[in-house]
Amino acid sequence: MAKKKNVASYVKKTSWKEDMRKNGILYVIFVPVLVWLICFHYAPMFGILMAFEDYSITQGVFGSPWVGMQNFVDLFTGTGFALAFRNTVAMAILSLTLGFFPTILFSLVLTTFPHKRMRRGFQLLSYLPNFVSAVVMCSLATEFLSERGAITQFISLFGPEAQNWLANPNIPIFWVIYTLIGVWQGMGWGSIIYVTSINNVNGELHEAAALDGANRFQRITHVTLPAVMPLIIMMWTMAIGMVFKTVGTNVLLLYMPITYDVADVLSTYTYRMSFGSTANYGLSTASGLFQSVLGMILLIVSNKLGKKASGASLF
Amino acid sequence: MKKLKRKEGMVENTSIGSHIVNVILGLILAVVAFCCVVPMWHVLMSSLSDGKALFAHSGLVLWPVGDFNLEAYKIVLKDNSVVRSYLVTIFYVVGSSLVGLVLNVLAGYVLSRQSKLRGPLMMLVLVSIMFNGGLIPTYMVVRGLGLTGTPLAIILSGCTNAMFMVMVMNGFLQVPIETVEAAQIDGAGHFQMMFQVMLPQARGLVLVTMINTALMAWNAWFEASIYVPRTKEWWPLQLVIRDFISRNQDFLNYANPDYNRYLVQYAVIVLATIPILLLMPFFIKKLEENMVIGAVKG
Repeated sequence: MAKKKNVASYVKKTSWKEDMRKNGILYVIFVPVLVWLICFHYAPMFGILMAFEDYSITQGVFGSPWVGMQNFVDLFTGTGFALAFRNTVAMAILSLTLGFFPTILFSLVLTTFPHKRMRRGFQLLSYLPNFVSAVVMCSLATEFLSERGAITQFISLFGPEAQNWLANPNIPIFWVIYTLIGVWQGMGWGSIIYVTSINNVNGELHEAAALDGANRFQRITHVTLPAVMPLIIMMWTMAIGMVFKTVGTNVLLLYMPITYDVADVLSTYTYRMSFGSTANYGLSTASGLFQSVLGMILLIVSNKLGKKASGASLF
Repeated sequence: MKKLKRKEGMVENTSIGSHIVNVILGLILAVVAFCCVVPMWHVLMSSLSDGKALFAHSGLVLWPVGDFNLEAYKIVLKDNSVVRSYLVTIFYVVGSSLVGLVLNVLAGYVLSRQSKLRGPLMMLVLVSIMFNGGLIPTYMVVRGLGLTGTPLAIILSGCTNAMFMVMVMNGFLQVPIETVEAAQIDGAGHFQMMFQVMLPQARGLVLVTMINTALMAWNAWFEASIYVPRTKEWWPLQLVIRDFISRNQDFLNYANPDYNRYLVQYAVIVLATIPILLLMPFFIKKLEENMVIGAVKG
């Protein structure tokens, strides 16, 4: 608090001349960062004008005819965008539920397991998928879920006919597969922070609970979980904030024309509208803008929520 | 066993029920570990199999199918695009990390100092976290700068982001004010202050940003596919793998298919993944620590 006051009084009291003399070099030092920010963040923002234009390459951003909201009308009345939006929301919700809690469960199982050496071994093995690149991960998924793949064979034991699961256009198969791939990749690595936090729970609390006759399960629900709840809430609100930026990043590597209806997400829709055979820069920019605004709203809301719930915030 | 328990400060009952629970927990962990290891093992063993036998085989490959065979690796290594893309990727990883380091330290330093413009500059950085122009506008600016088709497009676009700058700033803000003042009295200039006084003190967070940048650069393929689509000599490893795999889908269309070509996709995956898995044990501890620091302070 005192620090904030200090800053405020400094800004008010110091004259520009004096500040320039004192901090001039500081501002010069910032120039490279400023140039970078302008090139990769602020200059592209002018391109957003394209979302309101009937963009043509020959006339450029500032010369193309202005069409107002027509691109957005086209987006929302066309089917492609509506489906992509639905799929994005569905995958986002799945990643925040089915995709979020396995990590916590895994951390709990891991920390409850008493054998220290084996515990470490299991943990190290669970890190492996995190070091597999997205391209490799998606080709592994394609391989294992193909008609003769190992996972397909395993599922067939329970009844469903062998098929290429990634080519199955029924809801919600692609969504669940996508979420589970994320779980496979992120569970072990994501558990580090939970495991650390669980291990930091005061041992005396556990001891007291055990003396009171609490079994292991009761100790988890009454001692461990309440202690790590703030962390879980923080991680969850952070995940909500980032979900529109992160969901669907690997869809481009997994989908195919037959599953476009269920697998297309906002980012892939934007991509096809940008570089596909039916490229339309106006539409693509409009859909990118829509995604960006939604992402920003979610980030701000979740940040507020996080501050309220756990005192932690992203920025 | 008893010693272990006391060390962990636990009062454990040793009933049969508790042993059964332990076994169940162990089984769950074993299944998870199995799922994490087996896909890569399957690929490794497939790459060493006989092409034709593997093509007819279905399901998990836990041991080479048919005769042990290294042809796939010969094909891949003869085609020098894999080796070259390896070097290109290393160049991208090192380049992005270093450029990112410099930008992050500059930004973090300026933002951690008291000045009249600190507020507006901070705003400028934060807005770029929340909002961006999108795919096409960014692409057009990069093209306008004449960077498309050059490796600079990939290094500069992926080297940092506002989040990392804020993290480094937070690291610098933790440096005790006494240290800073002492250095100032000793006559340290801005750059000495940044790299010799503050950087060593905030190295944990700075390392987090560098590792994350490096990992992102290692994984990246999308940026290359839009910024250097036609200059294959600047393709990173991941894009080359993707290209290998998609080109391989149609090997059967040839009149006399060479089944070793079917193995190539496995071989490139192995070549791309094994080195990183071999490196992993050396810095896993550091990475774990950094995960926790990054999550708590980021």
